[in-house]
Amino acid sequence: MKTKISALMDGELDAHELNGPMSALGRDDEAFEAWRTYHLISDALQGRAMLTNDCLRRVVARLAEEPALVGPLPADVVRPQRPRWFMPSALAASVAAVALVGWMAFAPQEKTGPLLAPVARAPEPAQVAATRTVPNAPARLPVTAATRDYLIAHQVFSPRNSLQGMAPYVRSVSAESLQGKP
Amino acid sequence: MNRTLGALLLFTVAGWAQAQTTPEALDWLRKIYRATEKLSYTGTFVYQQGDRTETSRIARQAGAAGGTEKLEVLDGTPREILRTRDEIRCYLPESRTVKVDRRSDSRAFPAVLPEQLGSLTEHYVFTMGETRRIAGFDCQAIVLTPKDDLRYGYKLWADARSGMLLKARTFDRNGNTMEQFTFTHLEIGNVPRERLRPPRTGQGWRVEQAGVAPADLSRSGWSVGAELPGFRKIVEIRRMLRDARPVAQMVYSDGLASVSVFIEPMPGRAEAARIGISSMGAVNVYTREVANHLVTVVGEAPAASVQRIGNTVEYRPQ
Repeated sequence: MKTKISALMDGELDAHELNGPMSALGRDDEAFEAWRTYHLISDALQGRAMLTNDCLRRVVARLAEEPALVGPLPADVVRPQRPRWFMPSALAASVAAVALVGWMAFAPQEKTGPLLAPVARAPEPAQVAATRTVPNAPARLPVTAATRDYLIAHQVFSPRNSLQGMAPYVRSVSAESLQGKP
Repeated sequence: MNRTLGALLLFTVAGWAQAQTTPEALDWLRKIYRATEKLSYTGTFVYQQGDRTETSRIARQAGAAGGTEKLEVLDGTPREILRTRDEIRCYLPESRTVKVDRRSDSRAFPAVLPEQLGSLTEHYVFTMGETRRIAGFDCQAIVLTPKDDLRYGYKLWADARSGMLLKARTFDRNGNTMEQFTFTHLEIGNVPRERLRPPRTGQGWRVEQAGVAPADLSRSGWSVGAELPGFRKIVEIRRMLRDARPVAQMVYSDGLASVSVFIEPMPGRAEAARIGISSMGAVNVYTREVANHLVTVVGEAPAASVQRIGNTVEYRPQ
């Protein structure tokens, strides 16, 4: 089973092979422990100190809070900047993996098939590829007149004022912000 | 123990291997702060952001009570801002509105003091740049390079004699310019009184008071968790924004960069809330919804930092 779990982690299993290791993770302590250990090893090897248990908690909390936006991205949405350490493909993979581990770690500790319901609702891998989940990728919004109110309120407290006098206030009354241009 | 010492030594050496702060550059920064506080001047500067430029006129009369300053945008619709120590008035003729931010509590408006500059060296490396002539002034450049990706870098050009800042460039970690201020004309010395006169307002003008008051958000269940390294909370207030909606505001700063977190109830907002991030030059704005409240994070910091602060906003009913 451990081989299967390792393959699952690496994304090497086909859709029809998923059921065995997934249900094993739900009922078999040893399998679950292996799953955790493999991730720990992988994180340690790749120096991802961020992915501690606390990260799991945060991901679970975020997932609970945010509705998953599953759907194709509009063509005009510019992909926002991501921190450098987030490689896009690695991000998707690790968020998915961490989310799953997190869900298992913090879900009520029932041993009678707690995994079945969410698995049944999860889309098939083929569909996942066709859509995009964007919980951590906010849309690019244009700057509107309403934004200016916040800019002025913020500028009052900016330490740049002590360095530069009033000049930075020009941001908050810039004509461009009125026209609602992005 | 030996290993700890060794690791410590290694870190220190690694730190030295990078560019290091020179006391001379730090002195120059002090000089700029002092000039901003002490000098009276009139001038014209250009603000550049992306492919846009905008020209503005600025005047400042120094004084014992903090002085008076005025900024006029010269391109497009005239817009003016007047600042005294206790008040900021923003005149917007196209909507016939005056926005007034009155400082009822001076503690709510902290200034960065030159004595606090030392702590900036924890997050920025200060180095000397080239000398260059700008708007007729011989200027010395200093470079503030951030030690991490959480903040922008700055290059500042100051008049070698007075310390007056003639040019300021904000750059990201790849060296791209996010925004730039450049004086094209500057006169240091006394300022004619009419240059500081408020614009005419009359019938039909609306006055919007910010009504700033100190606040303690944690008592109503709000928290901003895991703060960014080096950023500490400098202000926590309640205030009004346009159409008189009460908003809570917390400001975090590392001494140079600052990020404001605004929290307001969702219902009653005229326009539908839009969730996402928008950018204008060095300023990023991140909007999200938490517990039926709108959270707006505004900061002169990289989008990732602004978003990171925004994502730690939590509400736990008391």
